[in-house]
Amino acid sequence: MKNYLPFLLITAVLWLVSCNSDKKDEADAFITELEGATEAPAISEETINDILMQIPSPLEISMLMRESGAEYDRTILSDPDNVSKFNTTFKRAINLGIYGTDLMYTNIFSQNQEGLSYIKAVKELADDLNIGQFFDLRLVGRLATNNNNLDSLMLITTQNFNSINRYLQETKRANLSILFLVGGWMEAVHINCQMSIGNPEITALAERIGEQKMILENIMLLMSFYAENDSKSGISELYEDMKQLKVAYANIQITYTYAEPTTEIIDGILMIKDNSKSTVHITPENVIEIDSAINIIRNKLTS
Amino acid sequence: MKFLKYILIVTILFFAKEESEAQCIPSDHVKTCIPKLVGGFSFLKSYEINGRDGRLEKVEYSYPFAKGTQYMVNICSADGGNQGLVVTLYDASRKQLATSVMNGQQLSAIVFNCQSTGIYYITYTFDNSTSYCGGSALGFKR
Repeated sequence: MKNYLPFLLITAVLWLVSCNSDKKDEADAFITELEGATEAPAISEETINDILMQIPSPLEISMLMRESGAEYDRTILSDPDNVSKFNTTFKRAINLGIYGTDLMYTNIFSQNQEGLSYIKAVKELADDLNIGQFFDLRLVGRLATNNNNLDSLMLITTQNFNSINRYLQETKRANLSILFLVGGWMEAVHINCQMSIGNPEITALAERIGEQKMILENIMLLMSFYAENDSKSGISELYEDMKQLKVAYANIQITYTYAEPTTEIIDGILMIKDNSKSTVHITPENVIEIDSAINIIRNKLTS
Repeated sequence: MKFLKYILIVTILFFAKEESEAQCIPSDHVKTCIPKLVGGFSFLKSYEINGRDGRLEKVEYSYPFAKGTQYMVNICSADGGNQGLVVTLYDASRKQLATSVMNGQQLSAIVFNCQSTGIYYITYTFDNSTSYCGGSALGFKR
């Protein structure tokens, strides 16, 4: 026993050293969580992150608008000069998402000058939320002033937003991540609705709005976990407001028929042809109803 | 003398453990993968693949794919190529749609021409991998 004593002591010391760094991380996370003013929900971090991953990038929806032939309309975007009005963490996080979508929309339609206003607004809100390090204002600004850099600009912007999102989740601030993603998603649906109302002949726009029903269901599920524990940060109020959006979506039907896919290899890449079909049943009246519900929520968030 | 031996062995074991856990840096492989989204695909998401030295059998992510859109998922492993990594795509009801191993060939990417909107699952597994580490990028085009 005497012979093993030094061994046990050294092992214990090394184990303590090893644990100490973990404990420091845990302590930091705990403090951050307290600052978030929202109690942790009764679901695992893994489940939260799984649902967050299922919120689509606004980039995809914006791209559809351009390719469908709809024209750029600046009046439907949130005013970038309103940044100073957002003086709570809740408003900053949700408007960061809203401005992020507006920025992508201006990027896709090559509206460089207006894009710069949104870049500035995004950077300001990100700084206020202590995540400004993920947004290289100089680089994005430089790319935004030249139309030939559109691909690079989209890539950098998407990477920045992905990094912000990952960082928030890693630092146990998933509540902010939810707000950021929900804000971005809601703005994308809002822009899509506005463009669909102005261009009812482009059925792809209305279909894309209808498809968001499944995303909304996931968002509502996620927010319900937070709303149960939250009375301060604003999530519970937003959750209540979003119930009206859910009502507006209640009439949308999505049907799905499965068929085996077919595959072939071309140049070392597996090409999969989806033979399943999904159909969205949505009318122009449904779009107007969804748009109205979104506007009520959006006006509260952006004022 | 015995005491010194203990110090040496425990120190080696301690640092060997730290080293093996620090070896996998998926973000590096993600950086390699993003520029490999060629053919007009726009970058959407990046996925880190860390099999924790074989302790994890699979790493899974999910994303809503939209009708009328093509999605490319590529994989980059620690060898600089795609060896040892397999990507498999499942639909919302967990039906397997395709996998990147075809006829014994390990492919570097899959392209899914989506005709049915829904949540899809992108699963990464390991096949004779030594690093259990890699990255992946998801791109889209209409």
